[in-house]
Amino acid sequence: MIKGWSLRKVSTEAQLLLVGIPVVLWTLIPVYHLFLFAISPRDTATSGRLWPKSPTMQNFEIVFGQKHFYLSHFWQQLGNSLLIAIATGALTLLVATTAAFAISRLKVRGGRTVMNLALFTYFIPAAFLAVPMYKTMSNYGLLNNRWAMILAMVTIASPYCIWVLKQASDKLPWELDEAARIDGASPLQLFRLVYVPLMVPSLVAVGTYALLLAWNEYLYGFLLLSKETDLPLAVALGNFLSADDSPWELLMATGFIYALPPAAIYYAFKRYMVSGLTAGAVKS
Amino acid sequence: MASVSFDKIEKNFGKVKVLHGISFDIADGEFVVLVGPSGCGKSTLLRMLAGLEEISGGDISIDGKVINDLDSKDRDIAMVFQSYALYPHMTVGENMAFSLKLRKAEKALTEERVGKAAKILNLHTLLDRYPRELSGGQRQRVAMGRAIVRDPKVFLFDEPLSNLDAKLRVAMRAEIKALHQRLKTTTVYVTHDQIEAMTMADRIVVMHDGIIEQIGTPLELFDRPGNLFVAQFIGSPAMNVFEGTLRSQQGRPWVEADGQQWPVGPVAGGKDGQGVHYGIRPGDISMVEPAQGIPATVVVVEPTGAETEIILQVGETMLTLVLHGRTDVKPDQAVGLQIAAEKVHLFEKSGGQRIG
Repeated sequence: MIKGWSLRKVSTEAQLLLVGIPVVLWTLIPVYHLFLFAISPRDTATSGRLWPKSPTMQNFEIVFGQKHFYLSHFWQQLGNSLLIAIATGALTLLVATTAAFAISRLKVRGGRTVMNLALFTYFIPAAFLAVPMYKTMSNYGLLNNRWAMILAMVTIASPYCIWVLKQASDKLPWELDEAARIDGASPLQLFRLVYVPLMVPSLVAVGTYALLLAWNEYLYGFLLLSKETDLPLAVALGNFLSADDSPWELLMATGFIYALPPAAIYYAFKRYMVSGLTAGAVKS
Repeated sequence: MASVSFDKIEKNFGKVKVLHGISFDIADGEFVVLVGPSGCGKSTLLRMLAGLEEISGGDISIDGKVINDLDSKDRDIAMVFQSYALYPHMTVGENMAFSLKLRKAEKALTEERVGKAAKILNLHTLLDRYPRELSGGQRQRVAMGRAIVRDPKVFLFDEPLSNLDAKLRVAMRAEIKALHQRLKTTTVYVTHDQIEAMTMADRIVVMHDGIIEQIGTPLELFDRPGNLFVAQFIGSPAMNVFEGTLRSQQGRPWVEADGQQWPVGPVAGGKDGQGVHYGIRPGDISMVEPAQGIPATVVVVEPTGAETEIILQVGETMLTLVLHGRTDVKPDQAVGLQIAAEKVHLFEKSGGQRIG
């Protein structure tokens, strides 16, 4: 009996490993290659070795020192990326939190319609909306302005965030609102003093989602911004490929640097990510 | 402190009418319990008084002033919820001070009020704890503390003890009653538990299907229930009720049921041959020798220590009898029943209104 049980346990373990190992390799091998390129000298970058003969940090020095034509605005562009990501995260949070509060807690009329429309936006891939978005931004005279990118990303991120926050809001006990109303809270005080503090885990998750979405966005940045000093780093990285003789090792070194902040953010907030994004998924 | 008055209160949820013209007054400092089975509209009525539900018809006034269109916060009431509704991200002290904070009260005043309430409720050692670190009874006390700090005109309680275990419920019951005796604040208390209603209330309002069945002090309701519903709802174990026919000869009335003659007190009205519900409380029946009373058979004996509950069968009718003390009767034993005729309640067969 005991033997049978442990056999079954071993086989379950083996099955998990059978699935797990390929998934881990699948994820890590490209990252490893990114890293390999980044620490290889230019002439041996494509040699195909598993570890470079003479690993070097020179590529990072070039990147940080902006010592290459493609990298002449590296710090500015990294700053652009940060600005766009943080502004998108903050604005999306503002839009989504207030919308979710109004729909879920204040039960404003038309809330259901807004929710349905929000869902509807995801029937159309964001890429299809790129050209209309370009036209809209041009109408408002926002082309070549980082605000264009920020507003576009807020537009794309908000509907999903509203959904997640609405679901999470619905789980807060209704009596809390009633108690606060009797205690004398206005809707704004209810929002500020009761609702937001209780929604923190979901807000962190949703804010991080919007922030990473903007950080990783390429297409909209490519379309809406064209001045070198306005570009986010993601678009600038793409420009490396515009020449025949691309400096791969620098592209990879920059890419590696670019990948670090999201990894750090995700790691810092992963506790919230899992609980926040699944909040309201099941009735507890 | 204030009086409360309900005048022809109606409530509709869409096409469904849940309150049909409720009218009654609550005196200053009175402890009134709204009691009834679930769905009778008692909580809805309380929530309308709190300003959490709109009023479909009629007027609610506090101290003679109609408050229909006032916001909850301007009605000067405080409410204790069944689920406590404590703010999870605030400490006990912050929870209790929240309403004063919203009113921008001075810090010294807030501290004084919170300190006083905490002392009354024995919470002063818990002020820095969070609600999740408290037991059910402590949370309930914090919810009450939050209400006391407000020093409102009226306290509202919405089934505050339903989430507690039986022992704690009895303890909290006494605590709430003691609190009312100390503060003398007008209190409206909603419960479905008639024992809570009996033990705590100055006056009980029995509700059923959106109407008031009867209003009275606990003992009035117990001794002279106005109709069959109240008779069966108030009292534990419940009143024995069965159908029979009222007979009367030479001014001496009795009820005929199950082939037996059941005694009726002298005051009972009604006319000969009328169909009635015959009601007698379990404590108003006693056991005698089989030959002397109405013949019955013991079915179940349930000793509870101080009292013994006995279930008996007379013909097709099952009766409950409560005996103070103990007994050595056994199931299937034949006994005689004697009924205190002056304690008998008669109700019309149709409508269930009290006769006499």
